[in-house]
Amino acid sequence: MIKMNKVLGKKGVKLALLLMTAMLVVAGCSSNGGSKKGSDVSIEDRYTVDPETPAWQLDKKSESTELTWYVNADWWNTDFGKDVVTKKIKEDLNIDIKFITGDDTKLNTFFAGGDMPDLLTIFDSNSPVVQKAATWALPLNDLAEKYDPYFNKVAAADTLNWFQLKDGKTYGYPNYSNTQADYDSGNIPAKTAFVIRKDVYEALGSPSFGTPEEFKSVMNQIKTQFPDMIPFGFNSIGEGTGSLGDVLQDFIGVPLETEDGKFYNRNLDEDYLTWLRTLNAVYRDGAISDDSFADDGTGFEEKVKSGKYATMLLDGTPQQGGNLQIFMSANPGKEYIAIDGPQSTVGHQPTLNQSGITGWMISYITKDCKDPAKAIQIFTYLLSEEGQKLMNYGIEGETYKANSDGTVELLPEVKDLQLNNADKFKKDYRMGEFMFFGHDRHKALSKDAFPESIKQMQEWGQGKLKPHFILENINPDQGTAEARGLTAINTTWNTTMVSMIRAKDDAAFDSTLADYKAFLDKNSWDKIVEIRSEKMKANKEKLGIK
Amino acid sequence: MNKTAVVPSTSMPPNAKKPMGQRIKDFVIDYKRQWEIQSMILPGIIFMIIFCYIPIYGLTIAFKNYTVIDTLSSAPWVGLDNFKIILSDEYFWDAVVNTLGISFLKLGIGFIIPIILAIMIYELNMGRFKKFVQTISYLPHFLSWIVLGGMLITWFSTSGLFNELLLNLGLISKPSNILLDSGKYWWIATLSDIWKEAGWGTILYLAIMSKIDPTYYEAAKIDGASRLRQIWNITLPNMKSIISLNLILTVSGLLGSNLDQTLVLMNSQNRARAEVINSYVYRMGMTQGDFSYATAVGLGVSIVSVILLVTANKITSKLNDNQSVL
Repeated sequence: MIKMNKVLGKKGVKLALLLMTAMLVVAGCSSNGGSKKGSDVSIEDRYTVDPETPAWQLDKKSESTELTWYVNADWWNTDFGKDVVTKKIKEDLNIDIKFITGDDTKLNTFFAGGDMPDLLTIFDSNSPVVQKAATWALPLNDLAEKYDPYFNKVAAADTLNWFQLKDGKTYGYPNYSNTQADYDSGNIPAKTAFVIRKDVYEALGSPSFGTPEEFKSVMNQIKTQFPDMIPFGFNSIGEGTGSLGDVLQDFIGVPLETEDGKFYNRNLDEDYLTWLRTLNAVYRDGAISDDSFADDGTGFEEKVKSGKYATMLLDGTPQQGGNLQIFMSANPGKEYIAIDGPQSTVGHQPTLNQSGITGWMISYITKDCKDPAKAIQIFTYLLSEEGQKLMNYGIEGETYKANSDGTVELLPEVKDLQLNNADKFKKDYRMGEFMFFGHDRHKALSKDAFPESIKQMQEWGQGKLKPHFILENINPDQGTAEARGLTAINTTWNTTMVSMIRAKDDAAFDSTLADYKAFLDKNSWDKIVEIRSEKMKANKEKLGIK
Repeated sequence: MNKTAVVPSTSMPPNAKKPMGQRIKDFVIDYKRQWEIQSMILPGIIFMIIFCYIPIYGLTIAFKNYTVIDTLSSAPWVGLDNFKIILSDEYFWDAVVNTLGISFLKLGIGFIIPIILAIMIYELNMGRFKKFVQTISYLPHFLSWIVLGGMLITWFSTSGLFNELLLNLGLISKPSNILLDSGKYWWIATLSDIWKEAGWGTILYLAIMSKIDPTYYEAAKIDGASRLRQIWNITLPNMKSIISLNLILTVSGLLGSNLDQTLVLMNSQNRARAEVINSYVYRMGMTQGDFSYATAVGLGVSIVSVILLVTANKITSKLNDNQSVL
C-alpha cells in the first residue's frame, strides 16, 4: 500500500510538473514579442541593383514568392490575383499575396505572439505601433539602398521625411499623403462644402448665407416655405463633433496657430463662437432638428439620399458621393450644389482641410519578412506611375485610354459597368479600391474618378484648401496622463458643443461655455498645449516651414 | 483487485475529522478505485487551465504601463499607479454611478416582472393562447441590441412613434428627441431591457412550475383556497430555489452588464447618464489604446463582482433554510 502511494505520489509530482511546464510554455509563447532579427536574403544570383531601373524588372527569381500581408481593417477585400488590377500585379512581380484582415485585437495578437506577417498595414499613425516601428519593421531607407534604389525616385521625399523616426530612418509609407507640392499643384479636390438643394435655392431667389443675420433669416424662410424639410443638416455627431467642430472652423478660416506659432484653441475662437451662437438661435427657431444630434452615420445618409435637408455643411463629399448621386438621379434639377455659405465675421478666408502628409493607411515591411527584396519591389511598383495608373484605371487599351493632354478615360464598356453594375465592376476590375499607395494626384487624372454628383462641389472648393500639416500628430503620447486628460477634454467638448447649440437661452449657452473652460483648467490643459506646441515646432522643422 | 478490501475501517463517526495523513490516503484510495471516472474530468481541467487560468497572467498589465509593442514581460512595472488614477478619475465614478443606477433599476423592476409574467402564463388555461403569449414575449430576446437600438432611436426621434403618441394625447406641445434627454436615460435603459428580456426570463420559472405536483393544487382547492392563495402558498414556495439562483446570478453581474445597450443608445448629450463601466473600459482599452488602465478597471470590477456573488449567496441561503444554491 505504502509503495503504491509512493508511486502515485511521484506520478502526482510528475503530473504537476508537466502541467507547470505546459503553463510556462504557453505563457512563454505569449511573451517572446517581435524582437527577432530581420532575415537577410541574398540577391546575388537574382539581379544586381541599378538605380535607374526598378528592381522588379531586373529580378530573375523564377519561383513565385508567397507573402502574407496583414491589413488592420475587417472590410478589406482579401482576394488576390482574380481581378484585373491584382492579376497584373501578380504577373509583373511574380508574387502571390495572402491577405489577412482583422481588428486591433488581432493586430495585438500578432505583436504579442511574435509571429509577424511579411507586410503589415495599419491606420492610426499616432499609435505606439507606429512610434516604435523600429522594433518590428525594416527601415525602408536600408531596403531601398540594398535591394531597390529606384524606390527613392517614386517615394515622396517629404513623406519619407515626415515618417522618419528618431534613428533617422523611415519604416512605413502611407497612402493619400499629400505634400505641399500636391496642394500647390491644385490636384487635390476639396472634400468640404456648404450645399443647398438647387430647387430650394432658386425658390428663395439665390440668397446670401454669409453673415449670421443672413443665415438666420434664410433658415427661417426655408422653414416657412418648405415645412417638410429640415432647413440645416450636418454630418452625424461623433468623435470630432461631426462637421460643426473643426470642419466649420476651417470653413470660416479660424487660424491654425497663435501669432507666435503656439497651439491655438480653435474651439474658443470668438469668430467661431459667434457662429455657434448663430446656430443656437437657428436651433431655437426650430430650423435644426434635434434628431441630427442623435442620428448615427446611417441615419444621416438616409436623409441625404432622400434630400431631407435643405442645406448641409457637408464633410467628406466623396464618401457621400453615392448618396448624393442617388438623390440626383432620382430628382433631376433638385441636386445639391455648393455655395459660399457661412463666412468669417472678421474677414478670414476659408482654410479647408484635406488628407494631410500623414495620409491614411500606412504600410510596413516587418522584420520577419521572408523576402524583403520582393517586398520593397512591391512598394516601388505600386508607387510608380505605372502602378498608380493600374490601381486607379486598370490597363491601358484594356480598360482605359490615355488622352493627348495626359488625362485618362475609361473605355465605354468599362464606364458602363461602373455606372450600372457596380458589384460586377468591383469584382472583375477592382479599380480605385486596391489603394495601398493611392494618391489624389493620380485620381485627378480622370473625370471618371469621382461621381457626377460632387464635381460641382469640388470645383467650388478650388483654391480654398490649406494644408494642416503643423497640426498633424500633435497629441500627447498614448498612455500618458496628458493623453488621458485630452480624451476627457475631447469627450466633454463633444457634449459642450452640442449643448451650446441646443441651449435654451443665451445664459445657458454662456454657462455651458464657462463649464467647458473650467474643465480645461482641471484637466492639465496647460501641459497639453505645451506638448502640442512642441510637437508643432518639430513638425515645422521636419517640413522646413518657418 | 478486491475493492471492498480498501474501504477504510469505520470505527469513527463519519462526520468526525480524520487526521490529515489519513484523509490524503483515503483520497488516493478513492481516486484509484474510480480512476476511469475521475479521468473523464481531466480534459475539462486542462481546458480550464489553458483558457481560464493561464490568461490570468495577462492581468499583470494592470500593474504595468503596457502598449501594443511591449510584451507582457517587457512592459515597465508601475505598481498601483493605474489604480490610483482610477480613484481620481471622475469619468470612471460617473460610470460606476450609472452602472449601479441602471442595474438596480433593472434588478428592482426587471427581476420581479418575469416572475409575475411566468405565473400569469402558468395560470392561463387555453393551450393555444398560452403558447401564443409565450412566443410573443420571447421574441424581442432574439433581436440583438444593434437592431433594437436602431428601432428605439427611430421611435424616440422627433417624428417618431413616442413623440407622435404624446403629441396626439396632448401631453406635450413640441416634439423633442427623447434620447437626447439625459434625465430620462436610466428609465429608457431599464424599460427597454425589460421589454427585451422579460419573456425570456420566464422560461426557467415555467420549467420549475411544470414540475409542481398537481395534487397540491387539488388538495388546496378542496380546502377552499382561492387562486391567489394557491399562488402564494404553493407556486411561490416551490419556485424559491430557482428565484434564489437567478438572484445570485443577476447580482454577481450587476457591475458587468449593459454594454451592448449603452454602445447603441449613448450619444453626446446623454453620455453623462449613459456611460457604464463596461463601455468605459471598452472606450479606454479598445479605442484609446490604454490597455493597462482598462485592465485595472476590469480587475477591480471582477473583485467587487466576486464579493457581490458571495454576499448574494449568503443572503439567499438564509432565505432557503441555510441551504446554499451554489
